[in-house]
Amino acid sequence: MKDVWITGIGIVTALGGDRETTWRRLVDGECSIRPLTLFDPTGFRTNIGAQVDDASLPLSDPPRHASRTSLFALVAATEALADAHLAVTSEPRPWALVMGGGAAGLFETESFVARRLRKGPRAHGLTEFLELFQDAPTDQVARRFGLVGPRITISTACSSSTLAVGMAAEMITDGVTPVALAGGTDAISRLVYAGFNSLRAVDPNPCRPFDRTRQGLTVGEGAAVLVLEDADHARSRGARPYARVLGYGATNDAFHMTQPDPSGAAWTRTIEAALTAAGLPADAVDYINAHGTATEQNDAAECAAYQRFFGERLASVPVSSVKGALGHCLCNAGGVEAAITALAVARQMAPPTVGFSEADPACPVDPVPGQGRPLHIRYAISSSFGFGGNSCVLVLGSCT
Amino acid sequence: MSARPVFICSIGAVTAAGTGVASLGEALTNHAWDAPVGLERPDAPPLPVATCRDFSPRNVLPPLVARRLDRPARMLAVAAREALAPLGDPLPWDRDRVGITAGTWNAGTAALVDVLQAIFLTTPEEAPPAQFPSSITNAPASQLGILEKLGGPNLTFVEKQASGLRAVVEAARLLGHSRAEAVLACGVDEAQWLNADGFERLGVLARPGRAGMRLGEGAAVLLLSPMPSDTSLARLAGWGMASSCSEPWLYPENPNALVQACHQALGAAGMVAGDIDLVMSLANGIPYLGGLELAALQDVLGDHRPAVLGLNERLGEGGFASTLRTLVAALVMSGRVMPAWSPAPHLTDAGYRPLAARPHSALVTAMAAGGSCLALVLTAVD
Repeated sequence: MKDVWITGIGIVTALGGDRETTWRRLVDGECSIRPLTLFDPTGFRTNIGAQVDDASLPLSDPPRHASRTSLFALVAATEALADAHLAVTSEPRPWALVMGGGAAGLFETESFVARRLRKGPRAHGLTEFLELFQDAPTDQVARRFGLVGPRITISTACSSSTLAVGMAAEMITDGVTPVALAGGTDAISRLVYAGFNSLRAVDPNPCRPFDRTRQGLTVGEGAAVLVLEDADHARSRGARPYARVLGYGATNDAFHMTQPDPSGAAWTRTIEAALTAAGLPADAVDYINAHGTATEQNDAAECAAYQRFFGERLASVPVSSVKGALGHCLCNAGGVEAAITALAVARQMAPPTVGFSEADPACPVDPVPGQGRPLHIRYAISSSFGFGGNSCVLVLGSCT
Repeated sequence: MSARPVFICSIGAVTAAGTGVASLGEALTNHAWDAPVGLERPDAPPLPVATCRDFSPRNVLPPLVARRLDRPARMLAVAAREALAPLGDPLPWDRDRVGITAGTWNAGTAALVDVLQAIFLTTPEEAPPAQFPSSITNAPASQLGILEKLGGPNLTFVEKQASGLRAVVEAARLLGHSRAEAVLACGVDEAQWLNADGFERLGVLARPGRAGMRLGEGAAVLLLSPMPSDTSLARLAGWGMASSCSEPWLYPENPNALVQACHQALGAAGMVAGDIDLVMSLANGIPYLGGLELAALQDVLGDHRPAVLGLNERLGEGGFASTLRTLVAALVMSGRVMPAWSPAPHLTDAGYRPLAARPHSALVTAMAAGGSCLALVLTAVD
């Protein structure tokens, strides 16, 4: 069985346009949620979001017609490759690329749709339509970095990128590729903003995962790309690992399109499948990076799953959600959380649940309030849940 | 490659030929058959889209169930019911061990447009909450999971024209890793006028005096399992995947990735090019794509000239189309149907011929704009 290392990480979030800025501000307990400026939120139930500062993105020579979503992915992939000490070049390489697909160019396409609906067939517009399809950012990353191996874009809503990391690692253990780039990218759009508002799933204030007074999520955006590598390949070139990818689990609760099964039963099966794939017992887990959206239903169902699976031991396992700091990064939520979990394992530090202040009996977990907490982490899980009942759990392990 | 064998146990379809595999089979055996074409726009002439004009979930889904689903979810659910029917109830597997993989290019577009119409033409407060969940791409597969209470992995792939074949290959990979005991591998797309309007602006749709593609819609479902049965249609013998680098809206500059994927698939199946009896053509009416495919076939097959069957130019292009090609290959290999459709002229000119006998092996390929390519080799069960 091949060992899979994470040897490079690139992150773009509203906290920062790079990995170290995001990590430092996250563990300091900062919140990136602000009034939204991407478009006029008048008429929406909320007016806040965790919006990336486009001016902070260090990308020269962007591809023509690239959407914000693609730009986020390109910045994150550039950082990840450089971090892994792999050439940032477009020379062909037979490596895999597996990304969670989100809105892609929807924000840009919305401008075309608005004109087309208002002005009829003579409305101008073509280029804004070009990146509508969810795999467009994946294609842009492949093209920029010469990735000519298997290329996959997976869409399971908010668990998309978690699955992308798990599937990419499995391709390495299968011997399909020695190196894979994996992660996700997503951007705020009017559709998503209106959609969550219409479902009354958003908090008018910055979200507060696991807090008794939580009222919903805050929409966020960004990208995360991880370089996954066959450990032998990495050793042969002297690469240093952040963490090992040990396995993943994926199930569906077959319950409801927008609400999780409150029993958490399927989510429990996912954790079990992930740890089985990793060859680990339940008591090996030292830290849980939670989905933790801050909706009443999600946090309760998620904690119910942890209670079912970990029992009394749950009280001694820190469970934190980065969404209080970064917002809900949509289809990239799992990607950025996998990246943060890898950093947590590498740096032996549990990131905090920003915004948490008051314990909820329905969420009997230690949410790491305030700031990051030094923690001995041998094994951690990163947990995601998407619309339509798709849960995915990723198991990461320390390399020391 | 998977260490476990993977069989296509049963199939279901909703296509422009009608609801059910039997309707598709009838169309395939009629050399003159063509799909109903023409997708209405509210403010402009219709566009060349092969639609499932008479599709209705009635007789398959109860009205109270159907009303919760949008069009692609309904088509997928009806096709899946057909694929599941031969297995009876209860299924031979724990439903928590049955997964779903789906490939799509545009599922959710109609719901998306409905929400945007509310935002742009009225106010954001008018955005219909019931439509938002249907606007996400994985909605049809998730709705199917909810409807059939299938608790295994439920994955949707978006790879433009290659989406459907990706769903088949990843279903096989799930089975190979014992992540499920059976998987419904699906392709699904819906016809939506604003989406088609975008393709019209790209200049890729067939028009009088202009070669191009027609879009399509429909659903194709293959039930895959490691266990063969009396009703198994074909075996997935090998697959390959590679990519070229082009802009997301353009086909690659050369056929190299498709050639590589085909060689991988043949190698994984332990076969050589001369073993292939049938090629399911990916041609869709766009001359450039036809040229790429022809070049790839010449490279992979050399002087060998197997039978070729193409579907896209009649049933329409889409993310579902490569699942449908796999389904039809399996149907033909099972001996249930002998298609009467001829290959596209550029393939006939190159010496490829229509099917004349039941094939025992088939090569199914897909190439997406942007450059992702897949190839799959099927072999007969007997």
